[in-house]
Amino acid sequence: MNLFLAQLISGLALGSIYVLLATGFNLMLLVARIIQFAYPHFVVLSMYVCWYVLRVTNDNIVLAILAAILFAVFLNIVTQPIFRHLMRRREEETDINITFIVALGMSMIVTDVMSHELNEGFAIAFPEAWAGREAFIRFGLVTISMGEIFTLVVGIIAVIGFFYLLYRMKLGRSFRAIAEEPYVARLVGIPVTRMGIYSYAIAGLLGGIIAVLLSLLLGSASAGLGEMVALKVLAVAIVAGLGNLLGGLVCGLFLGIAEAMVMGYFPGSWSNAIAFVLMLVIVLAKPHGLFGTRV
Amino acid sequence: MPLQLYYFLGLTAIFILMSWTIYLPYRVRQLYFLPVACMSASAYFGAIATQQWGWPFALVLIAGIAVGALFAFVPALLIGGSPLFAVVIVSLTFIFIVKTVIENVGVLGRTTGIFGIPPVEHLLLITYILLIIVGFFIYRFEHSSLGRAAAVVFVDKDVAATLGINIKGLGMLLQTVAGAIGGMTGVIYAFLMGSLFPDFFAFAMVGTLITMFFVGGYTNMWGVIVSAPALWGIPLLLPSVVHPWRQVIYAVLLVVIVLVRPEGLITRRTVRNVANKGRAWLSRLTGIRK
Repeated sequence: MNLFLAQLISGLALGSIYVLLATGFNLMLLVARIIQFAYPHFVVLSMYVCWYVLRVTNDNIVLAILAAILFAVFLNIVTQPIFRHLMRRREEETDINITFIVALGMSMIVTDVMSHELNEGFAIAFPEAWAGREAFIRFGLVTISMGEIFTLVVGIIAVIGFFYLLYRMKLGRSFRAIAEEPYVARLVGIPVTRMGIYSYAIAGLLGGIIAVLLSLLLGSASAGLGEMVALKVLAVAIVAGLGNLLGGLVCGLFLGIAEAMVMGYFPGSWSNAIAFVLMLVIVLAKPHGLFGTRV
Repeated sequence: MPLQLYYFLGLTAIFILMSWTIYLPYRVRQLYFLPVACMSASAYFGAIATQQWGWPFALVLIAGIAVGALFAFVPALLIGGSPLFAVVIVSLTFIFIVKTVIENVGVLGRTTGIFGIPPVEHLLLITYILLIIVGFFIYRFEHSSLGRAAAVVFVDKDVAATLGINIKGLGMLLQTVAGAIGGMTGVIYAFLMGSLFPDFFAFAMVGTLITMFFVGGYTNMWGVIVSAPALWGIPLLLPSVVHPWRQVIYAVLLVVIVLVRPEGLITRRTVRNVANKGRAWLSRLTGIRK
């Protein structure tokens, strides 16, 4: 029972990260109409920036957090003209597919830069103090770390904050209007292009927060992490239904909990594969997603 | 033949075949990467069949094709008519699962791989004969009623359904054939290289194939014939310090080509122009006018 509880909390922490990732991914899909497959790679690259700033500033946590967030926002906004150029040339909805190809190219660049250039290609490990690995709650032999609790709390706050923005603020209403019907949104005076840029910035902000939380939760990162996370985010988005934000919330949490449970009860090397098999079964049974696609 | 040229020609053929496995399902607008998993499954199957059971190459090749086809057929029953991104995620997930299985099962060599697969005589010749046969079948498919049906599905699924085209059936057929080609390529790869590593059949491979396919041109089968040797060969001609950046070169090329020339280097119009010029040159040469 203790193990179950510990894995549940760990799963909720991991799940909240998946929810944030799926939310950022879906936001760009709904408002900017792109499949930003490289988004999780940008998050991992921001983790590297966070790690680097910690190293050069003698573990200055505030600067590291700021650097990770600003870098994620910067990366996301820098890619915006490329996708805009692509979308301007192609009006048909099906050409959203080609944005995936460009994003795939970007993800290849980021992965290769990380695997060759950063830390000489080796995985990075965050300092003990930063990663918060010390036990916060202990049930017998099972412990819950400070990092997991912090990730869970900040993750929940970030999710609530984002959904508040989306459903209670003018900016969020504009986002939802564009997601529902971009042409009508333009007719009623919503600046669709500017909103698209805002969506990149907000997704970048979320990406920066995720980078900080992931580094707290995992305590390390490697070049291959981006691919792994990208695959999971795409799986969550598809299982939930592409562009379905609430579906992403449910499926992200589900994947996080399922993965933590598998990690708790099965050998480590199989945990990701079992989580993928689970997602695969759902995608095979419901290719349009559990909650219906919004794109 | 110099060893470097031998491997260059062999791997070029392998990449052309694998790019065609992406091309076939893309005719019905499905981005399908499962042949990479079929390739690895058949390659490992082939290695074990030769080393442990003593099967001859011909039998391994046939069995490899069957393994690849079966591997693709089972999921195709469910995703034959699925939307593009469901197919993407299913195929990427399969690649990951197959890689995890290989890395965790002792008989498959785990992360260290399998070594000592015996060489086959005239393998390069056999590979190019198979390449021509596969190319001929794809060409015939393109010019058949099935190929035209696939072209309609590519342009508009609703119109295709209205015309009575069995979209799911067509998707299943193309996915299974792509899996069979992937299986065949896996066996050839195993015997060409003599060793297998799970890392080869991973995400980087998908990136390479996508680059070859989209840079060459996704609207016809000829694009990859130009792009595969060019993309595989160019990094070999560059200084050795550039070699580790092969994937970055591919990725930059992919992004630039999609932005500047979305249909790729070889478009349908290019193929038509080349065919017309070829015909004109032939008629000048033979003096026969149509």
